Amino acid sequence: MTYLWMMLTFAKIGLFSFGGGYAILAMIQHEVVINNQWLTSSEFFDVVAISQMTPGPIAINAATFIGYQKGGILGSLVCTLGVILPSLLIMTMITISYLKLRHKPWFQSVFYYLRPLSIGLIAAAAIIAGRDAIVDWFSIIVFAVCFALAWRFRLNPFLMLLVAGVIGFIWG
Amino acid sequence: MLFSMFLSFLKIGAFTIGGAYAMIPLIRKEVIDHKQWLSEGEFLDGLAAAQSCPGPIAVNISIYIGYRVAKKRGVAVAVLGTTLPSLFVIMIVASLFGKIANLEAVRRVFHALKPAVTAMIAVPVIQLSRSGGISIFNVWIPIGAAILVGIWQVNPIYLILITIAGALIESRIKLKKLTKQD
Repeated sequence: MTYLWMMLTFAKIGLFSFGGGYAILAMIQHEVVINNQWLTSSEFFDVVAISQMTPGPIAINAATFIGYQKGGILGSLVCTLGVILPSLLIMTMITISYLKLRHKPWFQSVFYYLRPLSIGLIAAAAIIAGRDAIVDWFSIIVFAVCFALAWRFRLNPFLMLLVAGVIGFIWG
Repeated sequence: MLFSMFLSFLKIGAFTIGGAYAMIPLIRKEVIDHKQWLSEGEFLDGLAAAQSCPGPIAVNISIYIGYRVAKKRGVAVAVLGTTLPSLFVIMIVASLFGKIANLEAVRRVFHALKPAVTAMIAVPVIQLSRSGGISIFNVWIPIGAAILVGIWQVNPIYLILITIAGALIESRIKLKKLTKQD
């Protein structure tokens, strides 16, 4: 596997992910686990858990982590550069022209449909994560409690993962 | 100016955990209240554009602010500030994780972390469905996408390309109807 291929793969991930971190996870999962088989599904969600517990954008964290596992420090750099490269090109152009674009009917139409699609892709990421994560009564209970806490009380993600990690250490 | 912007984004990148939605309130405070680089309206326009553009939202909003403040050099500085903390922290964590990943205690921790992460991915689906304008007319899009990608492992890229093509065709047809009526 060459560094160039890693960079192109992450550029593809960056280019086709609309709706931020969680929607990007579905795309990274497809490329890294299914297409290229760099990680198993279980290893991938180790990376996701760590990406959420460390500072910075989740997509950048995941790209850096996967890059490091597959190609050391240089691997980290090429994957991170890859995932932000489409943003650098497209977002700069949009910044220059967004005020004109946003009133165009075709532009509004595209996002009218892309927004619900992004939500579906996040749901897909949850389904894929769940198949690997929810395997016994212990994990069902952890999922249900965390879901309720995150939904109803908007508990800070870092705090929630920290508590879940301690509970896993004791009873897991 | 450039250095001050670099430090602002470095600070935000280093101290926010949980991705773009955790970073946005801090970016807003820094850019509007503290440094007064943009007005509230300009920031909200940028946020909408950042969410429309492909890629990580935090990176996109950094690009917007960087460009508005100092053109291309501003973009470079803002993006570096946002991504450098991630690069350093993750490189350290990843180099350690390889050594401890197979320890029994670490497996136990992840046995609980994985369902917690699943919950954290699932909750925004509900929250975004409320704020993102999901109705009975378009609810088939997220449900269809979740089944195709989540269960049948269809490549999301195809769905995105089909969606964009469909939306463009639909807006063309609407435009033709309008011009006929005129």
